[in-house]
Amino acid sequence: MGDAWTRFAHARPWVRHLLFAVVLFGAWEVYARILAEPVLLPTPSAVALAFGDITVTGKLLPALLESMRLLVLGFLAALVLGIVLGLLVGRYTIADRTLSPYFNGLYALPVVALVPLVLVWFGFGLTGRVIVVFLAAFFPILINTYTGVRETPSDLLEVARSFGVDNELGLLRRVVVPATVPFMMAGVRLGIGRAVVGMAIAEVYLRLGGIGALIAGYGAVFRTAYLMAAILPLPLLGIGLTKLFARFERRFEYWRVSTAP
Amino acid sequence: MDGQTTGQATARPPDEPSGAPDRADRAAETPSTAVASKSDRGRWWRPEWYLPGLAAIVFLTAWELFGRATNPILFSPPSRVASAFAELTASGRLPTALLTTLNTLTVGYLLSVVVGLAVGVLLGRQQVLAELFEPYIDAVYATPRVVLVPLVILWFGVGYSGRLFLIWLGTVIPIILNTAIGVRNSRPDLVEVAQSFGASERQLIRHVIIPGSIPYIVAGLRIAAGRALVGVIVAEIFLDLTGLGGIIQTESAYFRTANMLAAVLLIAALGALFIGGLGIVEKRFSSWKQSTVV
Repeated sequence: MGDAWTRFAHARPWVRHLLFAVVLFGAWEVYARILAEPVLLPTPSAVALAFGDITVTGKLLPALLESMRLLVLGFLAALVLGIVLGLLVGRYTIADRTLSPYFNGLYALPVVALVPLVLVWFGFGLTGRVIVVFLAAFFPILINTYTGVRETPSDLLEVARSFGVDNELGLLRRVVVPATVPFMMAGVRLGIGRAVVGMAIAEVYLRLGGIGALIAGYGAVFRTAYLMAAILPLPLLGIGLTKLFARFERRFEYWRVSTAP
Repeated sequence: MDGQTTGQATARPPDEPSGAPDRADRAAETPSTAVASKSDRGRWWRPEWYLPGLAAIVFLTAWELFGRATNPILFSPPSRVASAFAELTASGRLPTALLTTLNTLTVGYLLSVVVGLAVGVLLGRQQVLAELFEPYIDAVYATPRVVLVPLVILWFGVGYSGRLFLIWLGTVIPIILNTAIGVRNSRPDLVEVAQSFGASERQLIRHVIIPGSIPYIVAGLRIAAGRALVGVIVAEIFLDLTGLGGIIQTESAYFRTANMLAAVLLIAALGALFIGGLGIVEKRFSSWKQSTVV
């Protein structure tokens, strides 16, 4: 046993992962076949078959595409408004004093609590759903941009001023925005993860379309294998998008101005 | 400094304030920034000081007028929200709902703290195990909890245990991940000293590793608090229509937005207290870390 474990621990990482996955899913398969009700816990092979089925019969892709449209619209709105308002609130004390309390209050509030209100106000169509995604992604982007502006070293601003950059736009373009980019990227990475959650909430709540409606539909009729198969793309989407934006984030990391002496 | 700590501690998939700021920081920061603090501090007639109040008055008045002019039921103006709040409080509906929500929130959170710390220390010490389990943990973490609702219903029913599970599932993961990172980052020199003085693994964890990872653990607890609050509202709206989330959902069927807003405000206050409180604790411990390390 000890020997086997040592050999396992010194194997290549992908070998370890493969072995572990085989053991894990094998145990699940055996347990589900012998002991579990298929409704409560379908076997992994049943889930895989269901996944193949919804892919081939064309249920999954159209639903995913519809969801992606919602995601992209809401996230783009959050990106633009979050960066613009973050710069504004970070740069101007007046804007900070008037708007920040509301931003802070809304950030502490779970978006899901606002979903029924947003849909009552803006309708069950695309607008209402896009606003839900927007609300989920907006605050991390806004608040990280704000922090970035606040952390812009004041000596850089002074140097720029003394070298003749004296209008606000020039300062923003040459100093503040470049110094803020690493912070923005962190906010964007957090925002995209939350946007996926917002999308799922809006769709499951409404059950009108998209991957959320597909999931809620299978859940309502207790087709558990199909339910799990339809859930599967969501973590992949969340992890994939977050990894992608984390890569952008690293790409811009060297823009970070070090304030330490 | 604080930002860095959290940044490291949450180099992780979705959802959570990492590389930066959080509400508590900002709340602490706002009153003392730049212009105001330099010269004439405390003069209330300076724009920085009366602006928040003025903005609130303008905002509430505009909403009141807009709400009355358009559709008072749909865009319930502040006066209606206030009276709805008073009414729901007097009838006992709001206090009961608050207690239900608080109960689930506290129990679910405590369960995930206990499990999260234990698993976190284990994964922090056992590198091989951590490497094997983390892809699966990440996958669960990246799955929006709302899509798991049908599974939760199948496994736990729509009652109290279902709600607890939904909170626990989202909350335990940031605690596990942050604790594991904290344990991994414990100072090797201290670990070595303890080991050369013959400390057992148990003593090592108790006296060196846990104290060293407290700042990370507290950061995880703060992130978990936000997710616990989301979890309890998701559970109340999608599982069994109880507590504050239940009020929002029930009232939305009748388009009674004043009642919905009253519950939303209470949730916001609850979130500010819970998350803000842990944010303050986190700040205290991160400075404590600074002073030990430097």
